[in-house]
Amino acid sequence: MRRGAGVALLLSLLSVAVECNSVSPPGKPVLLSCRSPEKETFTCWWEPGADGGLPTTHRLYYQREDSEGTYECPDYRSAGRNSCFFDRSRTSIWVNYILTVEASNALGNATSDPLEVDVMYIVQPSAPENVTVLLEEKEESPHLLVRWEPPPDTDTQSGWVTLIYQLRVKRENDDQWEEYTSGKQTHFRMFSLHPGEVYMVQVRCKLDHGYWSEWSNTSYRKVPNYNQKERPFWILVSIFSAFTLIAVMCILIMKRKYVKQCLLPPVPGPKIRGFDAQLLKNGRSEDAVSALIISQGFPPMVAWKDQMEEYLVVFDSDAGPLPDSHKTQKRRKSSIILGGFHLHPEAHCKELTFSQNDREKAGERKEGQAIILKSNKPSSGELLSKVEPPQLLSQKQPCPSINFASEHYTEGTAESPSNHDGKPSVDCSAGNTVGPADSGYVENMREVDERQEDYSRVSGVNGDNVLFLQKETVPLHTSCKDKRNHADCTNQRPRKPHVTVATKVGVRTELIYSGYVETMPSLPTM
Amino acid sequence: MPGSFRSVSVVWVGLVCLLLRSRLARVGAAPICTNGQAGCHVLSLADLFDRVIQHSARMHGISSDLHSEFEQYFLPSKNHIGRVNCHTSTILTPNGKENAQRLAREELTEVILKLLVAWRDPLWHFHQSMDHHHDFNNFSSNKALEMSDMVHELRKGVDKVAEKMQTLGIISNSVSSLASPEALLPPDSAEWRLMKDYDLLYCFRRDSNKVQNYLKILKCRIVPEHGC
Repeated sequence: MRRGAGVALLLSLLSVAVECNSVSPPGKPVLLSCRSPEKETFTCWWEPGADGGLPTTHRLYYQREDSEGTYECPDYRSAGRNSCFFDRSRTSIWVNYILTVEASNALGNATSDPLEVDVMYIVQPSAPENVTVLLEEKEESPHLLVRWEPPPDTDTQSGWVTLIYQLRVKRENDDQWEEYTSGKQTHFRMFSLHPGEVYMVQVRCKLDHGYWSEWSNTSYRKVPNYNQKERPFWILVSIFSAFTLIAVMCILIMKRKYVKQCLLPPVPGPKIRGFDAQLLKNGRSEDAVSALIISQGFPPMVAWKDQMEEYLVVFDSDAGPLPDSHKTQKRRKSSIILGGFHLHPEAHCKELTFSQNDREKAGERKEGQAIILKSNKPSSGELLSKVEPPQLLSQKQPCPSINFASEHYTEGTAESPSNHDGKPSVDCSAGNTVGPADSGYVENMREVDERQEDYSRVSGVNGDNVLFLQKETVPLHTSCKDKRNHADCTNQRPRKPHVTVATKVGVRTELIYSGYVETMPSLPTM
Repeated sequence: MPGSFRSVSVVWVGLVCLLLRSRLARVGAAPICTNGQAGCHVLSLADLFDRVIQHSARMHGISSDLHSEFEQYFLPSKNHIGRVNCHTSTILTPNGKENAQRLAREELTEVILKLLVAWRDPLWHFHQSMDHHHDFNNFSSNKALEMSDMVHELRKGVDKVAEKMQTLGIISNSVSSLASPEALLPPDSAEWRLMKDYDLLYCFRRDSNKVQNYLKILKCRIVPEHGC
């Protein structure tokens, strides 16, 4: 009775003690993982459970696939706490290990779940070592050369392990790493560097088909700034070019008129010799016109009427034959210009003037000048007649003024058709003068062949001095007018290129006759 | 005249080329040139080793892929853990670096060949069974076929390497694989028929890794100068 009470008391005390201390059997440990750094040894780690308040020991037991029996971990210390290290003699590749950890304390045990490992598949090397980053400057293309060494415990000589490497690079200011795979090489070159930046490099490796190692320690390298060298040069160049540009601009601005003239030359306006546009602008048209006429050698113009009559004036030279043989049919180049013949009935006959220039220019002839005729037809003969203005003038008093707006002409040997039968003469009154065309054109005189059919066109003779000529019909633009004495047609032919006086001078620019002596359309009333 | 001359010259050149080619072919049949001989286009031993090692690496890769696919779709029961009996377990294979290095070259070569020979038939039948079951997509089926072909090719390659080594005098002529491949087969090799597909893949994955490692060790022992 008393014993029973004592036991009960003891038990209650114990239970109270137990309740106060709350010790318990250990919690179940957990095997975390196993790793082999070089495929020759491996280490396993576990996580202990609750220790239950009592000192708890953990033991690792393993079984092998190829042998019977359960073995205990050979080394609990080398790899730290809660670990088990299997050395080379205990490690077999291609063999399954089944591991369990048992935690035990005074109150009980707890066994972890088994973990099955094959060393072949738990390989994870340590990080590569001695990562060095060098700057190589070869041929102006700087690049980083990264070198490293394999993890120290791996055996790379026997071919037992194959390591592949990976590195990552980052500029100091960047957020993202750039990864590169290096394969089995233990070096790597990086190009396309940013000058003046600091580069950070890390390397890691993998063994066979295992896990990647941890990243190595960061290595730094600063890339020098290459732009620095060239900058002063470019500053100088830019300053110099700026100065040059400013100078050129100043010169251009100062000489802008000249530049303008050079770049945009003024379009030459029509240039009439002797014509002074300024006078016209000043409102003095008469002066302008007179200046023009004088310069051109026109005879002064008298007011003329609308009707312009043109005459062919055929002269008979009294002065006799020319010093040069008229009979010779030398070709001569002579150009006689006949201006417009304007017959002005009201005008004085005496105003028939020739430009003095003409006479002067016809140097070798004293006889005066021949009035033009025509033209270009070589076959057609031309009537050449010489004019003696002063004589003529004296002769023909009542003749209307004939204004010869004639240019200079030059004559070589002249042939006077006057020696022939016809005696062409200028007869103002006859009205058979035909005044060709314009003022101021030059026609080439061809050779006069008096023997040619010049006079075949002569239709009649009036007196000694007048010749009626028959004009040949011309296809283009014929307008025939019936006139008093004869019918003729005035042709309007296409002009030959020559200078025409501007219409403001009042000259009618008309007709060109090519090769024909044309009769006047009408006789002036005299 | 120039046309006919040209055609004649072309014919003549063609004939000359044919003659030369036949000559070259005959030269090709000449005895194997050793390393360092100029003008020789036969592969060196190091090249042969590299080739077979590459081959074995690829084979192991395919077997790993197939095994992981199997694990995804056909989770093995717990019973399989720890006690998978491969039919090649009778072949004594070194289980570590030291063991492999301790083996003689001839023995190591023979182990490799034994393994390869042992897997030829099982892989072929595995491929056949995959075709029949239609459980797998074509991709897996192709892998199985490729794997089976590779074993065959790799075995021939290792034969070549062994032959070359024997020619070079590196190993003695005791390697019996060349003579009769069937002699390599273990006596109870029909065990593989009882293996399930998953076990078969599991075993082959391991064995292909063994072959790869043994070849690497052999190469670095015999021709170490080329990338070990």
